[in-house]
Amino acid sequence: MKKKLIGLALICVIFALAASPAFAAPKTYRIGVMAPITGTNAEYGKGFQIAMKMAADEINAKGEIKLELIIKDSKGDPKESADIARQFADDPSIMAILGDFTSSCCMAAAPIVDEAGIVLLSPTASNPDYASMSKYAFSIMGRQDGEAPFFATYLLKKYAGAKNVGLIWVNSDWGKSAHDNLVIQAKKEGLNIVADVNYLPDEKDFSSAIAKLRREKPDHIVIMDQGLVPNIINQIAQAGWTDVRITTLGPGTSEQILNLSKKNAEGLLLTTPFFIDADNKPAKAWADRFAQIAGFFPTVHPACAYDTVYLIAAAIRNSGDKVTRESIRENLQNLKGFVGLTGPIQFNPAGDIFRKYLIVAVENGKFVRKTDYEYAK
Amino acid sequence: MDYYLSQIINGICQGSIYALMAIGYSVVVGVVGLVTFTHGEVIMLGAFAAYYTFELLGNNLVIGVLASFLASAFVGIFIFKVCYERFFNAPRHISLICTIGTSMLLRNLAQIIFGPNNKPMLEVVPNRFYGQGVVGFTLVQLIVIATVISLSFLLFIFFNRTRWGIMLRAVSQDKTAAAMMGINVRLTALLGNSIGCGLGGVAGMLLAIYYQTLVATMGGSAGMKAFSSSVLGGLTNIPSAAVGGLCLGLVENLGITISSASFRDMFAFVFLLLVLIVKPEGFGRKTGVRP
Repeated sequence: MKKKLIGLALICVIFALAASPAFAAPKTYRIGVMAPITGTNAEYGKGFQIAMKMAADEINAKGEIKLELIIKDSKGDPKESADIARQFADDPSIMAILGDFTSSCCMAAAPIVDEAGIVLLSPTASNPDYASMSKYAFSIMGRQDGEAPFFATYLLKKYAGAKNVGLIWVNSDWGKSAHDNLVIQAKKEGLNIVADVNYLPDEKDFSSAIAKLRREKPDHIVIMDQGLVPNIINQIAQAGWTDVRITTLGPGTSEQILNLSKKNAEGLLLTTPFFIDADNKPAKAWADRFAQIAGFFPTVHPACAYDTVYLIAAAIRNSGDKVTRESIRENLQNLKGFVGLTGPIQFNPAGDIFRKYLIVAVENGKFVRKTDYEYAK
Repeated sequence: MDYYLSQIINGICQGSIYALMAIGYSVVVGVVGLVTFTHGEVIMLGAFAAYYTFELLGNNLVIGVLASFLASAFVGIFIFKVCYERFFNAPRHISLICTIGTSMLLRNLAQIIFGPNNKPMLEVVPNRFYGQGVVGFTLVQLIVIATVISLSFLLFIFFNRTRWGIMLRAVSQDKTAAAMMGINVRLTALLGNSIGCGLGGVAGMLLAIYYQTLVATMGGSAGMKAFSSSVLGGLTNIPSAAVGGLCLGLVENLGITISSASFRDMFAFVFLLLVLIVKPEGFGRKTGVRP
C-alpha cells in the first residue's frame, strides 16, 4: 500500500512538473514570408530568405518562443504577391506576414491583409503611400519622402555639386514615388532637370532612353531602380558615354552592381540608410555570417529583413499568453525601445519609420562610405 | 537630326536581333507546320551555352556562335522528340500545349541549374564607339549586325544551293507531296527544327552580349518578340520574318523617341495589329493557308 502511495505521488509530481511553464515546450508560431526568390530581384529575395532564417534560428535557439517561417516566391510580381497574401490570410495558423520586397508587391497585398486583419511587415517597401493603406501594413525601410529629398539636397547638390541632372526611372509604384519626391526637392534646391525618362519594370533595352538623356547633356544622371541598375550602367558605358557622373537611388550597396557592372560602376554614387564596414563591429560580424551562408555580402535589404523577424518576435512576446493576429498588430504599432541591426525602430502612426542616410561611392570595385549620419545637419 | 539618326541605328541593331530570332522561328514553324512556344527558352539556353563557353575557353566569338548554335540545336532535337514527333497527325492543340509545358520545364530547370540571379556577360566585345557625338555605331552593334547578316547569308545558301535545303523547303511547302517524292519528312523536319533552334540560340548569345547580362527568365519577352516578328513576316516566310524583326525594332525605338520607354510594347503591338488589319498575310507574298 505504501509503495502504491509513493508511486501515485511520483506520478502526480511528474504531471505537475510537465504542466508547469518551466517544462512546457515553447509555443510555435507560423509566420508567412513572401519574397522575390526568382526573377529580376532574386538577389534581394534570396537575401530575405537567408537573413530571416538566420533570425528565426537564433530566436528558436533561445527557446522562449518558436517561429516557423513559411516562405513563398512572389517572383517580384504584384499579382503573385496578392495571391500569396490571400493564401496566408486564409490560413488561420499564420499569425503574421513578412515581405514583400517592392512597394508595388506590398501595395497589391495591403488591401488583402487589411480585410483579413493580419500584419504585413515589409522590410523594404518605401513608397510613402504604402503603410497608410492599412493599419495592418508596416515597413521599416524608411520612406521615399525621406530618402529622395536627402538624395537631391545632400548627394546631388552638396556632395556632387550637380547642376544639370538627367533622370531615368522605373515606372512602378516605388519608382514614381522616388521620382516625384526627388523632382520636388531638386526644384527647391535649384537643380536643373534637363531630361526625364521612364521605362516598365521588365525592360531590357535602354539604348533609346540613354540616347534621349544624352542629347540633353546632363552632368549627372540618377537611375531610380533596384535590379536593373547594373544593366543601365553597362549600357551607358557601351554607348561610349563617359562625360557624365552616374548616381543611383534604390539599390543600396547591392553586390549585383559590383558583379554585373565591374569597372563600369566605378565612381557610382548612392544613398543607403545602413552601411556595413569595419567600424560597425556587430553588423560586420553579422554580415560575415550572412556571406558564409549566402555566398555574397548583404545590402541594407537583408539586414532589414533580419530585423523584421525580431520585431514580430517582440510583438508576440509582448502579447503575453493570448497571441492573436490583432495582438501582434497592436504590440508592433506600440513597440518601444526596439534596437535592431539597422538601428532603433519605432513606428509612427501610419506604420512606417523615418531614417537617416549615408552617401556611398564605388571605388576600386568596392563600396566606400563617403559621409556619416551627421552630413545632413 | 543627329538624335533621330542615333535612334534609328539603335532600332536597326535591336531589329537585327529580333530578325535573327524571327528567322529561327519561321524555319521551325515552316518545317514543323506548328506554332511553337519554346523558342524563348531555346534563345535563353543559347545565351547560357555561350556564357559557359566564354568562361571556359575565353572570349572567342566564333566559338561562342558555334557553342550556342549546337547547344540550342540539341535542345531542338529534344523539343522535336517530346512535342512534335508523335503528334504530327494529332489535333494541333496537343503539340501547342506540349510546347507550352516544355517551355515551363526548360525555364524552371534553367533556374534550378543556372540559379535565379542575373549573370554578367562583360567585355566579350570591348566598349568602342565609332562616330561623332551621339551619332555612331558601337562595336557591339556592328558585330551584332554583321553576325546576323552572315548567318542569314549562310542560311540562304543552305536553302537554295544544297540538297538538304531544297528538301527542307519542300517539307515546308507540302509534307504529303514531299513524302511522295521520297523525302524522309520526319528526319527533314527534325533537321529543320534543330537549325531554327540553333539560330535562336545564336540570337540569345547576341542578346546577352548586347545587354551584357543574361538570366534564366530572359526567354519570355524574347520569345514573344520572335513570334510577333515572324507573324509580321507571314509566319513561314523567312526573308519577310527578318524584315518583320527589323521593322519591329525600328518602330519600338522610334516610338520611344517621340514618347516614353514605358510604351515600347504598345508601339510594337499596335504596329503588329495595324499590319495585320491592312495586310493579314504579313509582309510575305504567299497568300496560301497559314500553318
